[in-house]
Amino acid sequence: MSARTPTVCPYCAVGCGFYITRSGIEYMQDHPVNEGSLCPKGNAALDVLNHVDRLRYPMMRIGDGWIRVSWEEALDRLAEEMKRALREMGPKSIAFLGSAKCTNEENYLFQKIARLVGTNSIDNSARRCHSPTIVALRRMLGTPAMTNPITDLALSDCILLIGSNLAENHPVVARWILRARDRGAAVIVADPRVTPTAWLADLHLQLNPGTDIALINGMINVILREGLENRSFIKERTGGFEELDVSDYTPDRVSSITGLSAGDIVRAARLYAKSSASTIVYCMGITQHTCGTDNVTACANLALICGQIGRPGAGILPLRGQNNVQGACDMGALADFYPGWRSVDDSREIDELRRLWNAGALPVGRGLTADMMPDADLRFLYVMGEDIVNSDPTVSRRRGKLKRCFMVVQEIFMTDTAKLADLVLPAAAWAEKEGTFTSTERRVQWVSRAGEPPGEARPDIWILAEVAARLGFDFPSEPEEVLAEINQAVPAYRGISRRNAGARGGIIWPCPHPDHPGTPVLHAERFSTPDGRARISPVHHTPLERTSPEHPLILLTGRVVLHYNSGSMTMRSEGLVKREPEMHVDVNPDDAARFGVADGDTVVVETGWGRARARARVTPRQKRGTLFMPFHFPETNLIASELLDRNAMMPELKIAACRIGRAD
Amino acid sequence: MAKIYLNPERCIGCRSCEVACEREHGHPRISVGTVSDLAAVPLYCHQCDAAPCAAVCCTGSLRQDGDMVKFNPDLCTLCGLCLVACPFGAIELDSMVQRCDMCGNGTPVCVTTCPAEALVLGDVDVVTRSTRARAAAVLAARLR
Ligand code: SF4
Ligand code: SF4
Ligand code: SF4
Repeated sequence: MSARTPTVCPYCAVGCGFYITRSGIEYMQDHPVNEGSLCPKGNAALDVLNHVDRLRYPMMRIGDGWIRVSWEEALDRLAEEMKRALREMGPKSIAFLGSAKCTNEENYLFQKIARLVGTNSIDNSARRCHSPTIVALRRMLGTPAMTNPITDLALSDCILLIGSNLAENHPVVARWILRARDRGAAVIVADPRVTPTAWLADLHLQLNPGTDIALINGMINVILREGLENRSFIKERTGGFEELDVSDYTPDRVSSITGLSAGDIVRAARLYAKSSASTIVYCMGITQHTCGTDNVTACANLALICGQIGRPGAGILPLRGQNNVQGACDMGALADFYPGWRSVDDSREIDELRRLWNAGALPVGRGLTADMMPDADLRFLYVMGEDIVNSDPTVSRRRGKLKRCFMVVQEIFMTDTAKLADLVLPAAAWAEKEGTFTSTERRVQWVSRAGEPPGEARPDIWILAEVAARLGFDFPSEPEEVLAEINQAVPAYRGISRRNAGARGGIIWPCPHPDHPGTPVLHAERFSTPDGRARISPVHHTPLERTSPEHPLILLTGRVVLHYNSGSMTMRSEGLVKREPEMHVDVNPDDAARFGVADGDTVVVETGWGRARARARVTPRQKRGTLFMPFHFPETNLIASELLDRNAMMPELKIAACRIGRAD
Repeated sequence: MAKIYLNPERCIGCRSCEVACEREHGHPRISVGTVSDLAAVPLYCHQCDAAPCAAVCCTGSLRQDGDMVKFNPDLCTLCGLCLVACPFGAIELDSMVQRCDMCGNGTPVCVTTCPAEALVLGDVDVVTRSTRARAAAVLAARLR
């Protein structure tokens, strides 16, 4: 092994590159996205590799305890239990949860097992971050992904950030926004909270929670009234414009809904529409709502009527959460899509896969999504690399129900999800294996092995090939061979190989043949819809009466810069934990006075779903009438809302009505 | 010689510089404070030209050397005078005097890791010239 191994950060979806050396991390100055920089999580990435808590051998549950077993025994038992469930209750009784932290090759094999045994009940954490993006952008633009690369932001003249706190969640993206500002670009941030991202703004729109559609429709209203729309783009490249009626969304009315001044709404509209290249960046502040799909639709409508898409610096950038959430979805680890975004309802498209896989029949129709699994009377559940108990409120609250089925968890740590399992399989971490990861900007990068997994831990791909063999399927177990099959199954990946994905910065899909340079900007000449046109679709604001005398405040959730999702990795980094050690709740000073809470108090926050304790931080940064809690700690999950966006099955994790009081 | 300069307008308070410095030295020698929850300010050694820490150091352990303040642990008595003398509180005691050594063989790790390019390494006139160039570009764009 050479002295330094290039790798890609295992945390967020920015896809930053760095080297792993014998003594630690070396920065990769020539990486196209991060140019050597890393956020604190990237700097702490190696902490998980040789951590004492790593799972080292397979374990089987006996009563309340565990015994160590051999791989042979573990895999045989797994196959036996899966076959028993299939025999006795059929494919409806089994389900799979893939991982946005595993490679493309692993997710591909994982979903292939699910489909070959006859179920579409396979999902991954994308359900809880960008399922509305998948539904809305696929319908409207044809491709459910970021339209432009991150570095393109530097070319924008106006950047609208809505529902994204990227300075904390995707810090390296801020680098490119700052470069745009250096050229005089205007940055608009729409967020109820004053976040470090809002510090970047020329115009901060501190709107009321859940009023994004009203704001965007209001901007469209101004644009149409002032004739700032792009008529020729609308005519030549889109359909459905005639149905877009936003005459109700006058600045005055929108002002009363959003709490913003009419002047700010007009200003935002003009800045966005008049600039020579504008970009919309959004994240979970848009998607994690019951109206998540409509929120995304509104954003895309705005871009389409202004023709701010399909050019360098002009596009729509949904920032994905995890390092391979785009890839896991491209690979079909979703209840509603097969690999290559083939709908589970389209038997014609599935037919191609049936031939490729030499399968008799493949399941049709949406399978169970993660939230539906606890209530589904499952007999067998296979979880690969996901701490679903600490990231999905429904599962969290109904974990007891999951215990009724035979549960396999393949993990690097004993997470709260693994603690429920009957069988725990130790997996290799990202730097102990090989394969490709697809970052938020569709950049596919090959990761090399920098070290050996601890104990008997094995790469997921090896485990899956062993499982498949026991079920009677002959799967390749080398990442390169699996990638060659992905070339056949996923059109956008047709030309991707170890060679181009392994080059510095990898390659951006679609890459239709091996010598293709990749496609950083989508939709340049035509959209990827069947007729090549984008669909404009009207959406409307539905007032949400969430608060009540009993629950007078709105709880907002999100992340902080030092932690990552359920915390199973970052909570094991000393350097991160000591800087952000405990659950806290941000409270506005007026609300603090109103409810008798002082800075530093231990408080109880209660929603209709549960109650949690936290340390109060009183800060004027928090908008009056709202609280904020980071979701890295199990408590937040216990009180998050269970309402769903029915289009995408996205839980409303962002907001919940609540009350606060001192703990004593 | 080049020094580390801060462009506070760019800092997003991510504390990556802190975590990187700690990774490199076992103890962070740069720390990020947040003012009124509205602006982050990394505090670190500025390698002052008239360094108060060197001025109060009786043993010569801290000493001005060209454009940098150098530290020789062998002479240090751990008296702690430098800690109080530093106007930025950039020196800490953690079994040994912890202060910036301009690590990284050319570019310090805090500078390279900073996602926001808030920390820059350069001669003061080069740094201010590029700040002026940026300000001019922004002004020009606004007038357009
Ligand atoms: S920005 Fe994302 S990819 Fe880059 S270092 Fe941080 S967590 Fe890793
Ligand atoms: S130059 Fe090195 S020692 Fe000094 S503050 Fe930066 S990282 Fe720490
Ligand atoms: S790394 Fe840069 S942006 Fe982050 S806190 Fe330090 S100086 Fe600020």
